[in-house]
Amino acid sequence: MAKKRTATDSNRSANAAVGKRDKKTLGDLKNLADGVVVAADKKREPFLEIPARALSNVRYNKTKRYIEMGGNKNRRQLFNVSQAKAYMQTLLVASGCKRLIDEQKTTSIRGLYYLLKHTIEGTKEETFGDQDECDPIIEDVEVTLNSLREELHVFASNRGNLAGSLTLIDNGDEIDCSRMGSAGYSIPSIVEPEIIQFTKCDAKFIMHVEKDTVWRRFNEDKFWKEHKCLLTHGSGQPPRGVRRMLSRLHHELNLPVYCLLDNDPWGYYIYSVIKQGSINLAFESTRMAIPDAKYIGLRSIDFERCQLSNSVKINLNETDVKRAKQIAGYPWFAGHKGWQKEIQKLLSNGFKLEVESLVSKDISYVTEEYVPERLRERDWLD
Amino acid sequence: MKHARKSNARRPALIGVKEDAPAHEPSARSTKAERNGSAGTKSGATTPADGEAADAKSNGSNGDGAAHVGNGHDEPANGATRADSRRRRATAESMAASQRDISVSEFFAKNRHLLGFDNPRKALLTTIKEAVDNSLDACEEAGILPEVWVHVEQTSPNRFKVGIQDNGPGILKAQIPNIFGKLLYGSKFHRLRMSRGQQGIGISAAGMYGVLTTGKPVKIISKVSPRKPAHYYEIQIDTKKNKPEILNGKGEGVDIPPGEAGRKVIEKHEIEWIELDHGTRVTIELEARYQRGRGSVDEYLEETAIANPHVTVHYVDPEGNETLYERSSTALPPEPKEIKPHPYGVELGRLMTMLKDTKATTLAQFLTTSFSRVSPGVARKICETAKLSVRASASKIGRHEADSLFQAIQQTKIGSPATDCLVPIGEELLLKGLHKVVPGEFYVAATRPPAVYRGNPFVVEAALAYGGVSSAQKVSLEALTELLSESDARSLRQFLISNFNGIGPDGAERILKEADLGQRLTPGKLKAADIGKLHTAMRSVSLDEGQSMNVMRFANRVPLQFQPGACAITQTIASTNWRAYGLSQSRGALPNGPVTIMVHVASVWVPFTSESKEAVASYPEIQKELRLALQAVGRKLSMYLRRRLKVKQEGERRSLFLRYLGEVATAVSDLNKADRKTVYDKLLEVAKKKTAEADVKLDDRGRKITEEEEEDFGSNVLIIPQADAAASSVAAKP
Repeated sequence: MAKKRTATDSNRSANAAVGKRDKKTLGDLKNLADGVVVAADKKREPFLEIPARALSNVRYNKTKRYIEMGGNKNRRQLFNVSQAKAYMQTLLVASGCKRLIDEQKTTSIRGLYYLLKHTIEGTKEETFGDQDECDPIIEDVEVTLNSLREELHVFASNRGNLAGSLTLIDNGDEIDCSRMGSAGYSIPSIVEPEIIQFTKCDAKFIMHVEKDTVWRRFNEDKFWKEHKCLLTHGSGQPPRGVRRMLSRLHHELNLPVYCLLDNDPWGYYIYSVIKQGSINLAFESTRMAIPDAKYIGLRSIDFERCQLSNSVKINLNETDVKRAKQIAGYPWFAGHKGWQKEIQKLLSNGFKLEVESLVSKDISYVTEEYVPERLRERDWLD
Repeated sequence: MKHARKSNARRPALIGVKEDAPAHEPSARSTKAERNGSAGTKSGATTPADGEAADAKSNGSNGDGAAHVGNGHDEPANGATRADSRRRRATAESMAASQRDISVSEFFAKNRHLLGFDNPRKALLTTIKEAVDNSLDACEEAGILPEVWVHVEQTSPNRFKVGIQDNGPGILKAQIPNIFGKLLYGSKFHRLRMSRGQQGIGISAAGMYGVLTTGKPVKIISKVSPRKPAHYYEIQIDTKKNKPEILNGKGEGVDIPPGEAGRKVIEKHEIEWIELDHGTRVTIELEARYQRGRGSVDEYLEETAIANPHVTVHYVDPEGNETLYERSSTALPPEPKEIKPHPYGVELGRLMTMLKDTKATTLAQFLTTSFSRVSPGVARKICETAKLSVRASASKIGRHEADSLFQAIQQTKIGSPATDCLVPIGEELLLKGLHKVVPGEFYVAATRPPAVYRGNPFVVEAALAYGGVSSAQKVSLEALTELLSESDARSLRQFLISNFNGIGPDGAERILKEADLGQRLTPGKLKAADIGKLHTAMRSVSLDEGQSMNVMRFANRVPLQFQPGACAITQTIASTNWRAYGLSQSRGALPNGPVTIMVHVASVWVPFTSESKEAVASYPEIQKELRLALQAVGRKLSMYLRRRLKVKQEGERRSLFLRYLGEVATAVSDLNKADRKTVYDKLLEVAKKKTAEADVKLDDRGRKITEEEEEDFGSNVLIIPQADAAASSVAAKP
């Protein structure tokens, strides 16, 4: 490998700063490699056991109220035509992570992809064709080692913002989230206590909205100031950083979370992910799920309730209908009368509503009437 | 009326116009006769005697063809009613004056497309084909290993002189004029014997075409023995009378003495003759066009060489290039036996004529002597079923009795006709022939046991070649330049599709894209640099995918080059499910892949769809045999393809593992500081063990893969070992 580093060079700078968590991760990575050597020594085929990340391998824990990963594991073998490349890629990702930890640096998943992408010697084949090939392998390594992404020194791009009366320390810098201007504080991908510590919070709850455009409306109207809350968004499906942040704020500062999402199956799913955790990242549910999160809107009854005009309707397409039925069948929605009613109503409406559609009433209708009214009436879905 | 029409029309086809040639009739009248063709047939019934005479010598397809033309331009119903309702335009008497026989030669002169003279290019091929086929038939019948010289020479922009000489037994002086100057004259029509020619039309029609288009007579030299002089004739066919006209030697021909004197005579007449003890040379000058590619003379000769490995052909093309197709076998195929018709294949009408003509006295004798496979016992059974006496006089059987006899024949169980009258090419020679001409990696051949259609025995053979490069890839730059300049295709795309087997529209597009040339360029106007680009592209573009199967059809060892769509062979190939044998195929189309298939139908009477003998008719029995033959080669092909795929997959597996081992070893040593080389070597060992296990597993009977499996293919298979591409590409680097 061309990119092989001289060991001494990287170790000297690294060892000094390697923390306790990193040491554990490094140990896990070494074990992964030791397994290969042991198998080779015994002339056995080396393989990796990777917990399955699929709907079939998750279950809803009723008492904890979030999704947990099951015990199913997939075996990934080197000497299997269909798995050989993935096996190679898994070890490659592991070695890349080791390098990051050794050098005490972090990189984006895209950065890791470029770090590991090269032409396999003697062929014209690339180790990774594109990033989509690399990303699931990173997740595989996470679940295999039972390490979090940040423990592997890999982060995703920032995709969420926060505003409100919260002061925190991010990587040593004190940040006052009430003084972040129009764009707010960009929630980083890694928000573990080692990086971010909360120092002061005057907020009473968290208002989480689906996307940037809505968030700006709330921020411009200084909703968070008026209602003493934190305002966040996650650019649609919230990335891990945002979910972890919400979870920490919720659990450490005891702030209830209210979600304002589009009235469509996608909005329901975002709520479900925030509340119960996602299927793909079921192994991180403990750290991310917020079982007490509330869904305040938009509701499928809002078309009548808010007397919206016909022109804001967006017809449901086939995928929407399919998805809605699928979501209605999720165990955490299945026994919930309110949710069943909500989804049935969506289906019988035959159209979906975006949060922005409330603008048709008035530009600030959502911040001045809709949300305050819901909060006042404690009208939400749980 | 129907009967009358038929008999009247049939008559000229048989007897010609010899006796009552209306020499006194001016030509203006004859055109009128044609205009009133409908009326002519109508009143033809007034000559019953003629009709009967025609029946006595009844024949099959040609008679029908003539009948068709006799009514050619008519609208009988309309014409008649209109004439009745209004004033009469012609009287029966006036019409009778213009009613006359039509000579078979006149008919074919007008309908030359029926004989394969539709266009100048095809005319050239048909002429050569008829002559060569006749030569080969003659040689084989005389037990001589055939050697044929084909000489094509351009005399003016659209005229060619074609000379075909053979080393056959020669033709007797008296027979020469009739054979070359009379349509439907020959030895092959009346017998049931496997031969290339069947009807006695071909060569005389070619001569007639030559005379019609250039006015030059057919020149024939024939020599029967070294001691006797050769005969030299210049003949042209009198189309009106269907009679040869000898032009030289005051209608007697010229004798060419052996030795020096003879040479001088030959020189004087501007003819060629290759010194042989015996043989025949026919020279025809005709309007034609020479063009290589599909349906060309070159293709015909090449395919003839495949199907006739015992033949040597010397070919000089119009550019003066000499090509030699040398025989790969010196064994003359066994002589096909002549057989009597099988009772099942005889229709009632023919049965009645046979009864009338027979020399046998009793019915039993008639049945046993006139038919094959009828023993006295079978004859008795037939007579019993027909409720006729075995001793009834054969010639006195009436219409009614003949009918019951006919029914009885159909009801009686009679053995299949003797099949020793058929001489298939044989699996071994098929493989040899195909291998010689078609490059490939796998060859398989299958000869079916003889079968019977309409009482005619026939054999189907199929041979298949898989792999290798297509004709587009082996063409040389010079040949391509020449082809381009000769081509009359409108676009480059069309040029590629029509000139090379295996390039479909898809392939042509890919080649042109690779060459960066427009699809619509005129082939003739391509610059040298562009031709170079095209040539490189043709070599580099892999055509395996879109390439469709290349089909070579043969009937009695004669290549069939036209009308593939109408032919039972092509139809059966397209309707066979080749997907089951590992080839891709769209519904109802020829399969795709680098495959050449050759199918040979041999029979005492090959049922062609037309006189130009371009396509085999679809009899269900023939289709069934074709399908079985195709399936036989298909099964072997799929065995081969499966094995090839396995070998390839194994190679890929191995190379795949090896490819990633290096990366894995590097990653492992990065992670736990283990020695990379040690890890790699150990993993390599495991990999080898693993693939070796897989090798063994592949054989379902638990045997190791050795020659044993090769033997499973049987004897009719030829495998050309290919360099293992997969293995060589594996870079096993530590």
